[in-house]
Amino acid sequence: MTDQAKAPVESTIDKVNKTLARRYRAEKRFRLYGMLSIGFGLLALVVLFTDIISKGKGAFLQSYIQLEVTYDSDVLGVYDVNDEDQMALANFEGVVKQALRNRFPEVSSRKDKKELYQLASLGAAFELRKQLTADPQLLGKTETLWLLADDDIDTYYKTIGGEEFIGATSDKQRAWTKSLVDADEIELKFNINFFTRGDSREPELAGIWGAAKGSFFTLLITLVLSFPIGVAAAIYLEEFAPKNKWTDLIEVNINNLAAVPSIIFGLLGLAVFINFFHTPRSTPIVAGLVLTLMTLPTIIISSRAAIKAVPPSIRQAAMGMGASPMQVVLHHVLPLAMPGMLTGSIIGMAQALGESAPLLMIGLVAFVVDVPGAINDPATVLPVQIYLWADSPERAFVEKTSAAIMVLLAFLIAMNTLAVFLRKRLERRW
Amino acid sequence: MTSIATEQAGEMLISKTERTESQVVRDIEHGETVGEPLMEDAKMSVRNTDVFYGDKQAIFGVDLDIGKNQVIAMIGPSGCGKSTFLRCLNRMNDTVEGCRVSGELTLDGSDIYSKKMDVVALRARIGMVFQKPNPFPKSIYDNVAYGPRLHGLASRRGELDEIVENSLRRASLWDEVKDRLHSPGTGLSGGQQQRLCIARAIAVSPEVILMDEPCSALDPIATARIEELIAELRENYTIAIVTHSMQQAARVSQRTAYFHLGHLVEVNDTEKVFTSPEHELTEAYITGRFG
Ligand SMILES: Nc1ncnc2c1ncn2[C@@H]1O[C@H](COP(=O)(O)OP(=O)(O)OP(=O)(O)O)[C@@H](O)[C@H]1O
Ligand SMILES: [Mg+2]
Repeated sequence: MTDQAKAPVESTIDKVNKTLARRYRAEKRFRLYGMLSIGFGLLALVVLFTDIISKGKGAFLQSYIQLEVTYDSDVLGVYDVNDEDQMALANFEGVVKQALRNRFPEVSSRKDKKELYQLASLGAAFELRKQLTADPQLLGKTETLWLLADDDIDTYYKTIGGEEFIGATSDKQRAWTKSLVDADEIELKFNINFFTRGDSREPELAGIWGAAKGSFFTLLITLVLSFPIGVAAAIYLEEFAPKNKWTDLIEVNINNLAAVPSIIFGLLGLAVFINFFHTPRSTPIVAGLVLTLMTLPTIIISSRAAIKAVPPSIRQAAMGMGASPMQVVLHHVLPLAMPGMLTGSIIGMAQALGESAPLLMIGLVAFVVDVPGAINDPATVLPVQIYLWADSPERAFVEKTSAAIMVLLAFLIAMNTLAVFLRKRLERRW
Repeated sequence: MTSIATEQAGEMLISKTERTESQVVRDIEHGETVGEPLMEDAKMSVRNTDVFYGDKQAIFGVDLDIGKNQVIAMIGPSGCGKSTFLRCLNRMNDTVEGCRVSGELTLDGSDIYSKKMDVVALRARIGMVFQKPNPFPKSIYDNVAYGPRLHGLASRRGELDEIVENSLRRASLWDEVKDRLHSPGTGLSGGQQQRLCIARAIAVSPEVILMDEPCSALDPIATARIEELIAELRENYTIAIVTHSMQQAARVSQRTAYFHLGHLVEVNDTEKVFTSPEHELTEAYITGRFG
């Protein structure tokens, strides 16, 4: 007894306390690592967003010039607004030119006039046509209107006061612009064209709506095809297929497909859908088919994982009550697996929304001015539109590119938010 | 060297008073079931039944009758095949990958495993309560109403309400849940959940109820309530219960079947099994020498 009392015995709790300090340190360190990586991720995101937003915010505003416009019957060649032939041939550009000449009466030489006419966009003439068609009373009258400026003028105007970008503008054009600025006759207005029009060679007329609708139709087809097919395949593989080497082989292949570079799906689509089935090229339908092939593996894999996560005790309970295998799936497995399936599908859809490589193969890269009205109209999609604009030489397309990226990101954020919302909403505990 | 020597010595020592376990096991592989496995006027009868998991045999030639409005308890060491045998009775083994059942199993004289027997209808007649409470992640009401809806037992809403209330009452759960029928069944306590599962099973008025260790996840009070419940249910149903608790078997059952390594060793009236077992393996098990 006394011997033991003298010896400095370490009790278990002392030993534990010693290791405890080390454990706390390790825990702290680990938490720090985690916070650092999240911080790094957030930083990258902030840099990306600020870059895109600072570059792209200009695209939401567009320069307009104030001009006194006279709807002159002689210049237009229109004497009766209801006469369609006359309206079709009407020279609205002449009216714009006349207005510009009236605003700058000192311009006389032919060459200078040509430069002067470049201040206004083609869109100005479109606008006048719209106004006159809407209100035939305007014929012969004079109105003060804000008309769309050319993209070079727009770019120059936006950079006045900073590092001036002169681009393709001439000295005279810049002087005229300055005089408009001094007279408060040039102004930035909300760029409605960007949200309502299709693509255009003229940056000030180019809009995202055509590509957005193209993306919408494409995703609609992808969703309508890949969700039911993917879920059905997952249910069959998980619940009904016998477990043998064939199903193993299928499983391996599905996992492989998920990792195949997307451009390969584009080549496949070109060979199968366009060359063999003669699906119309450059349309949402063929894009949707190709993206269906691409998203199917993702949906199947995530759906299978969701089905696997349904506790077997629920299945047993249902079977014990006399439910048939199909009823077990419909009554219990599907409702419980649905949040996971939906999340996986939406993530697959978001991938499909951002995909451009396979679509380049099947003609979605074509220059399409018209906004598509149906799934078999020629169209382009958001990421391809971004690629096209990024590739255009006009300086004004730089901000359009960034703005289009913002629109795409907004869509992605909306979809991912929906995924989180649906999961929260449908998730049930058991 | 030394350890083997002592083991051998020990074995010799035992063998003087009684035979070794391995000898007994060799014995039962050829032996018949002792006691009274068969009876007149049985609700279910099982003849010469083997069960295989792949190549591995789990049940060896079992003959057993299950009497009407009786509780039969199945006891035996872990892994001896009690659950496997129970699952044969309502064909739940069909759902187990690689499981094969052979032999003749009948319910009221009709073959359970014949092609003509519909599994859905069979399971409506033979309900099952599992070891772990497994209510559906639905409301209490929907849990109990699931079976009647599935089999179309109620034509009107009121009728369904009645079935649900009756089942919950008989499972002695009604008073506890009558104010929250539409809250989730998974929100109940473990014992309440198990009673809910019993209510769910009896809602389709089965003729036989199979229970696989229904009280293993429950505290003594909840266990006592379920035992009371089994005693009441016996008046209307035939019950087969697997249990690890010998006291429980003694309390709730009229007959007891003892399984050992896939063989049915002994079947007798419960009182007889627990007071004067015929087979030495049964005796060894109930006196706690192995298991
Ligand atoms: N799905 C299965 N696949 C393969 N073998 C199985 C399967 N289920 C059970 N077995 C085997 O069959 C034998 C009997 O198992 P069973 O579950 O019926 O035992 P038990 O008596 O219920 O045991 P416990 O008291 O532990 O529940 C065991 O050897 C077990 O390993
Ligand atoms: Mg068991």
